[in-house]
Amino acid sequence: MAAKRKKELEGEEKPQENRISTFPDEVLERVLVFVKSHKDRSAVSLVCKDWYNAERWSRTHVFIGNCYSVSPEMVARRFPNIRSLTLKGKPRFYDFNLVPPEWGADIHSWLVIFALAYPFLEELRLKRMTVTDDSLEYLARSFPGFKALSLVSCDGFSTNGLASVASYCRNLTELDIQESGIDDLGGSWLSCFPDNFTSLEALNFANLHSEVNFDSLERLVARCKSLRVLKVNKHVTLEQLRRLLIRAPQLMELGTGSFSQDHKLRSDTELENAFSNCKNLHTISGLWVVSSLYLPALYPACSNLTFLNLSYAPLQSTELAKLLPSCPLLRRLWVLDTVEDKGLEAVGSSCRLLEELRVFPADPFDQEIMLEGGHSGVTESGFISVSEGCPNLHYVLYFCRQMTNVAVATVVRNCPNFTHFRLCIMNMCQPDYLTNEPMDEAFGAVVKSCTKLRRLAVSGLLTDCAFEYIGTYAKNLETLSVAFAGSSDRGMQCVLQGCPKLRKLEIRDSPFGNAALLSGLERYESMRSLWMSACKVTMSGCRLLAREMPRLNVEVIKEDEGDDIQAEKVYVYRSVAGPRRDAPPFVLTL
Amino acid sequence: MRGVCGFGGGVASSESMTPATAAAEAEKRKGEEEEVEEIEEEREEELELGLSLGAKKVPAGSGTVALPWGQGCRILTANDFPSMVSRASPVPSPNSSVSSSSATLGGVTGSKRAAAPDPISPEAAGSAHRPISPMVVGWPPVRAFRMNSLFNLSKDSNQEVDATNPKKTNHNNSISGNGSCIKEGSGINDQERKSRTSASSLFVKVNMDGDPIGRKVDLNAHHSYESLASSLELMFHKPTMPLGASSSYVAKASKLLDGSSEFALTYEDKDGDWMLVGDVPWGMFLETVKRLRIMRTSDANGLAPRFRSFNKSRGLVGSKHS
Repeated sequence: MAAKRKKELEGEEKPQENRISTFPDEVLERVLVFVKSHKDRSAVSLVCKDWYNAERWSRTHVFIGNCYSVSPEMVARRFPNIRSLTLKGKPRFYDFNLVPPEWGADIHSWLVIFALAYPFLEELRLKRMTVTDDSLEYLARSFPGFKALSLVSCDGFSTNGLASVASYCRNLTELDIQESGIDDLGGSWLSCFPDNFTSLEALNFANLHSEVNFDSLERLVARCKSLRVLKVNKHVTLEQLRRLLIRAPQLMELGTGSFSQDHKLRSDTELENAFSNCKNLHTISGLWVVSSLYLPALYPACSNLTFLNLSYAPLQSTELAKLLPSCPLLRRLWVLDTVEDKGLEAVGSSCRLLEELRVFPADPFDQEIMLEGGHSGVTESGFISVSEGCPNLHYVLYFCRQMTNVAVATVVRNCPNFTHFRLCIMNMCQPDYLTNEPMDEAFGAVVKSCTKLRRLAVSGLLTDCAFEYIGTYAKNLETLSVAFAGSSDRGMQCVLQGCPKLRKLEIRDSPFGNAALLSGLERYESMRSLWMSACKVTMSGCRLLAREMPRLNVEVIKEDEGDDIQAEKVYVYRSVAGPRRDAPPFVLTL
Repeated sequence: MRGVCGFGGGVASSESMTPATAAAEAEKRKGEEEEVEEIEEEREEELELGLSLGAKKVPAGSGTVALPWGQGCRILTANDFPSMVSRASPVPSPNSSVSSSSATLGGVTGSKRAAAPDPISPEAAGSAHRPISPMVVGWPPVRAFRMNSLFNLSKDSNQEVDATNPKKTNHNNSISGNGSCIKEGSGINDQERKSRTSASSLFVKVNMDGDPIGRKVDLNAHHSYESLASSLELMFHKPTMPLGASSSYVAKASKLLDGSSEFALTYEDKDGDWMLVGDVPWGMFLETVKRLRIMRTSDANGLAPRFRSFNKSRGLVGSKHS
């Protein structure tokens, strides 16, 4: 039941001539319902006061990119009819252990406000937030119509919290806990779904380590006829998977369990048949512990595949080369670098429609113990092969140990439509391995060729020159990630001055100091956030920034007692909610 | 020398680096490297210890690892070892004009930068023995969850790869026109089917002299010493070594067993004695073997003389050499 809009102010009724549009407000609201994107909605709300009001009454979904930029009370005041909320919490470098775990971004205070303001809340999508079991139980009990819970990269909860959700959310359609750091106390939570519960559409517990009761799972899958997403964990065997597929041939996204030797599997043909029955599969992932003996069973399911996530399956190049021809419609591919350059050649020749490629390192610490025989991962030649065969490529995440300026220039010449270019040369500060020059020209080529570039992550040996290029050419850049790069303050200054659409800037271990920090004084209010760690910024520089820009939260994370001069970790973000009220002792708000 | 790199090694101007200056930079860094070599060695030892501990200790993320932060799936990093936290400190760059970098000694979490053994020289880049990358927190930027999965992968995939090895060997054997190979081939195909339906696998560790990395092999996936030896040959082959025609697989495999190669295959039995592989019938071998070692022939001299035992054996091997 949506809250009804009442006349709020005396002067609400205006003579027709003074209104921008002649529609009554209710009609405007009906129209605005079709405006979905939150950027468009923000634009609508800025037109005039009438439109602002119409927009806020008709909005059902709020996206908050930084949970500390606004308070839950403010959200509740402005938007009375929210059914779906997306919240992001910790800075992204939290994923790489650069932010201490008790930093904050706890969902609970939001839930308390929303239990009063939005009792009809249906969806909650969180990224990098802390969620406790208590919060999950509170959520399950406070929102009777609750439908979809998605926790990406979250932490703080255990499988007990999942049990609460399974037990009390009668209308649950989605439960997705991908890549969250969960305390896995056992698989009994799955058996908490009541026997008359049939509404599930999406279930993802792929990252849980404990085994769920398979009978419960099978019965759950059998009775939820609308199930379209099922991603199981590695304990589910091939034979069990086969049985699940028989029950749910309507699946659109499948995350398999373990794809290896299963003595209970009677024959390969049965498995293949189960797969070929699934005519609607467009996404396949999982393949934990994959044995190439069984991969061919997948082939019949791949004809409509658009997204294949093999990033947990250490395949060799030949295995990949045999699989890809069955996936002619592939648009997104995630692999491990065990496929090597030869595997990427196969990608280039088989996947003409490819738009996104992510190559993850199987052996990030170069230990050579990960896989037999040792392997060298991928190099610049694999990158070039893909770019030659896949002209539609616009998103790449590429981990490698060697790269050259010329190779990158070739890649972006072949594929000038990159919107996301994330290159990680894993050896720090490594120059072009053929010429020994810095990698400045590589990223220069990227920003010159790819005018639509929105996200860039740089690596390798880089001087200020690279940043001059970025500032000069990357006019659409929104997110920039920098590590171990640059020579002086000038680098960061170029970026802050030259990239008008910059929203997120995250820097670690680079020689940018107070001059660089303060050069962005005017910019930070139009950005979501700035992160600088292990740079040359000092406390006095941060204090100056805080003083000059009161609507920014300038936070310094101080983990040791020793130093009062250096600001080791600085997090700056715009906020209308004022300084954090829940900051732990090591977070100083200046 | 990562600390120096990141701070530009003193290149204060904004000029782009020419190859000459880059080379000069590399030289400068090498010089600075010597200054901090002592600290580096100590730190690298600690870090290597941390590396392997991290690799072994992280279980299947069940939360049983006593991680100081109490997180579910947190990779062990330099932070988790208190001795390293106090010891490891960023290398102060002599060329840095800001004195503040030296003030950060004291191991601030997340900012520890172990000096890298010089990775920049072209020789190092091409060498087979890469220096272990320094353990810097959060680098490379792979999410903790994915890192933990990779560690688990290595445990699982070792088992899986071995199960598929017999298939590789079989394929090659059946290609060859050699009469005895075809006989082997069909036998192995039976075994392949059997192993897929057999109730158990028998994994034993295999170590090769000179190779620090141990493997595991499923003995139940084989039915003869030949197939075991072939699969071990494949397992420990370096990719750069040329693999000849399939018939030479057979020849090579038997080399391991008949003492004509540089290495000999040995096993430790239930009593803790090290024996040469091939002395007893296969079935008996399976019951008594605990682990395998590919030993240098020179070291294997003290073991039971093989040629006598081999001729006495069932002739599995004898019929091979034609």
